[in-house]
Amino acid sequence: MEKAKMNIIDMFVKGARNGWNIAINSLLPNVILAFTLIKILQVTGIMNLIGLLCAPVMGLFGLPGQAITVNMTALLSQGGAVGVLAGLLSSGSLNAREATILLPAVFASGGVLQNIGRVLGTAGVNTKHYGVVLCMTILNGILAMMIMSVLSKFF
Amino acid sequence: MQEKKQNIMKNDVKGTTTAAAVISLLVAAVVFSGLLSGAHGWSSAFDFVTLSGTFGTIKEGTTFVGSDGTGVKAGFLLALSLVPSVMLAMGVVSVVEHTGGLKVAQRLLTPILRPVFGLPGNVSLALIASLQSTDAGAGMTKTLYDEGLITDKERTIFAQFQFSGCGAINNYLSIGSMVFANIIVPMILPLVVIVALKIFAANMTRLIINKFYPEDV
Repeated sequence: MEKAKMNIIDMFVKGARNGWNIAINSLLPNVILAFTLIKILQVTGIMNLIGLLCAPVMGLFGLPGQAITVNMTALLSQGGAVGVLAGLLSSGSLNAREATILLPAVFASGGVLQNIGRVLGTAGVNTKHYGVVLCMTILNGILAMMIMSVLSKFF
Repeated sequence: MQEKKQNIMKNDVKGTTTAAAVISLLVAAVVFSGLLSGAHGWSSAFDFVTLSGTFGTIKEGTTFVGSDGTGVKAGFLLALSLVPSVMLAMGVVSVVEHTGGLKVAQRLLTPILRPVFGLPGNVSLALIASLQSTDAGAGMTKTLYDEGLITDKERTIFAQFQFSGCGAINNYLSIGSMVFANIIVPMILPLVVIVALKIFAANMTRLIINKFYPEDV
């Protein structure tokens, strides 16, 4: 009923209002969390340590070692991970090409821990299939970085 | 009611003190004390002023986000600068949604579900929903199984599709817009990669389950 009455202007405005709510209630707090974490990692020197330790692995995808903080955060929350990505971009730890490689991986293997409940639990998926689903999802994140590291060379 | 309240209060007072509670109180005390203000090195991570950081300064050639901002204040301005693009993206998605654009997509999708995923055509509605909202997709999947429209194995394949890159379209357009200005490829390309990988994962899971759990076939 409500749908029939809406004109295109209402539709757009409704969506834009939804966008405001997402931006203010969900993105902004996640960005604040991400910048706090990055700051802590930076001033404690842990970020440098992570950078050194993970450089060989992340180097395979054309990324610096610090980039793994984005992948780790992604397992917990996609919003947090893109926040970390934006933070590392603004502090100059990542360049545009590296951010491009990381972005799809955040989604391909994002929010894994909460999705065990939100997707597998809600849908009632057979628990003996959980392992397969989790492994394939992590693999997808790795594949996303490999694909993007190749694709980004064309731009 | 009254009795219940009293019980809750009693429990609160008696409640066991966990290590996490003690540590969090101690950390908060240090952070808010200002004892470490002006500290350098790792200990400054426990200083409120350090974590708060500074707003960037607006110079020629910068936006209101400014340059050389640090900590949470820099993050706040960055997040504010993203609001317009999120609103724009969600506005456009809303028009497509309400004009029935997604119903067309759903109709186009129905015949290819069997060859592409090995799933029956009647999951197309849930599949479209899952691209917009993780929770809607998962809820509809449960209903499909409960109504006997998909088997246990098909449910896992379908859940795999939803699990990797959950709520792909809405999440990518809203959350991803934080860095759209910085990426070097057209903004649709990462989304194509995400959806292609979803389809890949669903099919790999289909193969693995068929091979290792033959009793479910």
